[in-house]
Amino acid sequence: MQSAKQKVIVEGLWHNNPVFRQVLGICSTLAVTNLVLNTVVMCVALIFTLSLSAASVSVLRKLTPRNIRMMVETLIIAFYVIIVDVLLKAYWPEMSSNLGPYVGLIITNCIVMGRCEAYGNSNPPSLAFLDGLFNALGYSFVLLIIATFREVLGMGTFLGFSVPYFSGPNWDKWIVMVMPPGAFFMLAVVTWIFRSVQSRKEQS
Amino acid sequence: MIKEKKWFPVIYMFLVTALLSSIVIGFTQFTSNRVEANRKLAFEKAVLAVLPGLSDEKEKATGLQLHLRFAEKVNEPDDYSAGAYTLIGSGKIIAYALPISGRGFWAPIKGIIGIEADRKTITAIAFYQQNETPGLGAEITKPEFRDQFKGKVMRMGEKLLSLERPGTKLDKNSVHALTGATQTSTRLETIINDALKKWQQQLGDGLDRN
Repeated sequence: MQSAKQKVIVEGLWHNNPVFRQVLGICSTLAVTNLVLNTVVMCVALIFTLSLSAASVSVLRKLTPRNIRMMVETLIIAFYVIIVDVLLKAYWPEMSSNLGPYVGLIITNCIVMGRCEAYGNSNPPSLAFLDGLFNALGYSFVLLIIATFREVLGMGTFLGFSVPYFSGPNWDKWIVMVMPPGAFFMLAVVTWIFRSVQSRKEQS
Repeated sequence: MIKEKKWFPVIYMFLVTALLSSIVIGFTQFTSNRVEANRKLAFEKAVLAVLPGLSDEKEKATGLQLHLRFAEKVNEPDDYSAGAYTLIGSGKIIAYALPISGRGFWAPIKGIIGIEADRKTITAIAFYQQNETPGLGAEITKPEFRDQFKGKVMRMGEKLLSLERPGTKLDKNSVHALTGATQTSTRLETIINDALKKWQQQLGDGLDRN
């Protein structure tokens, strides 16, 4: 059992990382990563949604008829996403307006549906929860790397605080990093680096 | 076995939907007052921010305090103010707070612009709803951008106030636009000018009638 858990963790974070390996959830990766704070909130929302929906799908897996399982999964995912959305609207309205439609769009984030289908559907709830959690963490750490580079290079700040040198007059801010194209550049660079490391390890 | 029955998926889907939606509905009901209050408070905060002497960037006032202050000091729009909220001291209007809104780059921008009793000088500007690009257009909500408006005077003619390219020399009718957010800047310029022009016109009509 221990090894199954370890396998789930390593797969989610590294070998089968949702962003640079499976290339899923790219819409939000590109959209919310220009400020670190927005990214953090988005990641927390995804961690919550993904781990709990995978677990819920797994709890219901023996009961759910095969032919309507996608409908049930979507329903469960939407349920958790709406909870997050309402929570943000009620208790953190500024963040809710910063993230705009992207919280709601977690419903269509392929990572969530993908994990529910590929893992939650055929494994016990505790493992499904773990799988969801670590896939979400795998997504989060890649996003945070991208967001850090974009915010520091593009705006000279980190979490809204000025970074020495990058916020000074000697650094010409790379506005393009904060704009949508910057996200594509960063995603490509990150994917390239991580995949090169992976393939080198596999060869040795 | 019940699972093999033809109607089972229908009943099952129905039950799962009923269960999950009732939880969501309950939860939304539970927070709806708060969500509504947040929306109102964002608006009231923006109005307070543009009227002189009613708010301080550094003070840590609670939502309730701000709401009470709004209810106590700010007067609702009437015919004479042409849609603007007013701050009245010793029987005279001290300042106007005019709601402005229009299309931004991604979604509507809504804000408040404060005008002194002379109906020409800007006291401040604040936004309570916008969905511009974070880090670029969304910088309109930052003090660095908003503080530029303080003391600017509406000019006569087509453009009452203008947003100029960053780095250009400014006069008393213009402020610097945002770097990297040309779309937001030009749209905001239109929003501000349209609202101010309409307001001046209505004020004029009001005067004629009286």
